[in-house]
Amino acid sequence: MPAYYLEALVVFLGILLLIAEAFVPSKNKSWVGLSAAAGLTFILILAFLAVGPQDRPDKDWASWPLWNFYQFDAVARFFKIFSLTATILVLLMAVDFRGLLARFTDHPGSEESTGEYYPLMVFACAGMMWLASANNLAGAFVAVELVTISFYVLVAYLRRNIGSLEAGVKYVILGALSTAFLVYGIAWVFGSTGTMMLSDMPEALSAMENTRPLLFGIALVLVGIGFKVGAVPMQGWIPDVYQGAPTPTTAFLSVGSKAAGFIFLIRFLEPFLAEGSPVRGQLITLLAILAGATLLLGNLAAIPQTNFKRLLGYSSIAHAGFLLMAVAAWRPQGEGVLGSPQVVAFYLATYLVMTLGVFFILAQVRIQRDGEEVSHFNGLAKTNPHLAFGLTVLMAALAGLPLTAGFIGKFLVFSLAVQAGLWPLIGIAFIGVGAGFYYYLKLVRAMWWVDPAPDAAPVELPAFSRAAVVTLVALTLILGVFFQPILNLL
Amino acid sequence: MPQYLFWFFATIMLIGGLAVVSFKNPVASAISVVTCFLGLAGLFIGLSAFFVGIIQILVYAGAVMVLFLFIIMLLDIRAEKARNLSWLATAGGVGLVAFFTIQLVGVLGEPLPNQQAPPLDPETMAAAAENFREDTRIAQSLGEGGLPDVHLIGHKLFTEYNLPLQILGVLLLVATVGVVVLSKRQPERES
Repeated sequence: MPAYYLEALVVFLGILLLIAEAFVPSKNKSWVGLSAAAGLTFILILAFLAVGPQDRPDKDWASWPLWNFYQFDAVARFFKIFSLTATILVLLMAVDFRGLLARFTDHPGSEESTGEYYPLMVFACAGMMWLASANNLAGAFVAVELVTISFYVLVAYLRRNIGSLEAGVKYVILGALSTAFLVYGIAWVFGSTGTMMLSDMPEALSAMENTRPLLFGIALVLVGIGFKVGAVPMQGWIPDVYQGAPTPTTAFLSVGSKAAGFIFLIRFLEPFLAEGSPVRGQLITLLAILAGATLLLGNLAAIPQTNFKRLLGYSSIAHAGFLLMAVAAWRPQGEGVLGSPQVVAFYLATYLVMTLGVFFILAQVRIQRDGEEVSHFNGLAKTNPHLAFGLTVLMAALAGLPLTAGFIGKFLVFSLAVQAGLWPLIGIAFIGVGAGFYYYLKLVRAMWWVDPAPDAAPVELPAFSRAAVVTLVALTLILGVFFQPILNLL
Repeated sequence: MPQYLFWFFATIMLIGGLAVVSFKNPVASAISVVTCFLGLAGLFIGLSAFFVGIIQILVYAGAVMVLFLFIIMLLDIRAEKARNLSWLATAGGVGLVAFFTIQLVGVLGEPLPNQQAPPLDPETMAAAAENFREDTRIAQSLGEGGLPDVHLIGHKLFTEYNLPLQILGVLLLVATVGVVVLSKRQPERES
């Protein structure tokens, strides 16, 4: 099956759900989310079977002009699978979270206004999938905006909740600013290379005499993408928006939006970071500075946080720092060696597993104990030891303890950086890892060594959340020792 | 475009832009945005981008800003109270603008590859007509020395930017759904 059917199917599913949701009368809207997840699972299976024109050159469709806008390689397939998996999990999280959605959109007990939440996520997923296949700047920009605009709505979805609305306004204003940077940067890149096609960039680069306008453009684009991935200098929105947005949206933001930003970053920078490009040296310096600043800020600012969602926000900045470090230590894929795109993809895959697991638990703590502070996790080990054990594993993995998935990801990033000889950056990253141990294990301490409040709910997971958490925790441990399956995908 | 016209329209834009942020009355600010758009339209037309220039006036100055004015009047937004600008925020803003300007001057200070746009004379048009099939409207119009810019832009959009255009369709759908979701009338609480 040609790969471009995947996005078409996702959009079709989204429209179908919108229409069905509007015309099928039902008190309980969970079926919308569940059928969205089921549909996306079907598309996920198809994603494994999808092929590009280079795989089947004899077919009619292989010569269609559509391939001028669309590329399909191993990295594109990986990020499509990634987006679909993330969206399916977040949809399930939203189904279990719908009590709170109902409370803050309409009134408790009426799910009248929660039906559109699920299709919007499906559309955001389509945007991420298109982004993974974009081969020119115009297409990439439109796909990025599709993702961002879906997120504007998803963040502000709880319209009876002042925190969610505030987060929405902040996200829209800063998002618009970053979009302005992105477009302005793309204009400069287009002006200095004369092309929007990423595949024509190397040719334009080799004929270039004065690289200064191009560098200016790249710097502006980096600011724009920095917003999407949550890197310095556009990291300011993350804590507030993470805290205010509904928890499934926060989870989707921290995994989906970040992955979308990084695939865009990799696609965009690939021609400029290639061996022999005139801007390679300056660009690596720039990326290393951004990565260092992001690592320091994310990790150190996370230490004093008491709100767990805010803490996860800063932790997401810190992870963006590690990912940027892998990009700064740029190496293309070679025989038997992992390149930067592969390492970033692997790191994001482990990040998905760990982060979504934590958010599944956080969403239920938010509902059942009515709060998201670290203190709301007090004594979880006494009230629900199994859950506390799972969360401990996930936190250890986020910190990067050996034998967990998080360790392998960090290890690959560090080995890339060592080979590139980015020693000052490695030093900063070690400080970051050390700080990470402190603030991630703070939660572990609250769960195991602090007594629960007398009226604290025991926190029982509903069926979907429980299945998802068990799977994700198991994956965290399995991927920590047996990670070949993911690398085979790349 | 004659140089003095460029400076004229650029000055209008700058004055409009400054006025947007300095007026305290939102209606005055909105009108200043219109002024800014008019200057921009002048620049576009001066660069022979007639279609974009006209659209700038019709859509942005005409439709978008009128909608803004409607909303300002409907919501009855009052003039802003005197702002207490903190010293640090002002310094930060000025510093950022200065930094950006220095960057821009540094980039523009070097000799850039200066490509002159081809003049819009009948010979250029006739030469461009050869890129299109003979029986098409675009080829005929170009051959007669006209500039079918609406057709040309449409042609480019639907051939070279076809997929992005369709993604834009999905984007508009999402935006529409989003607006309805966030602003639909709240049902009365049953209590």
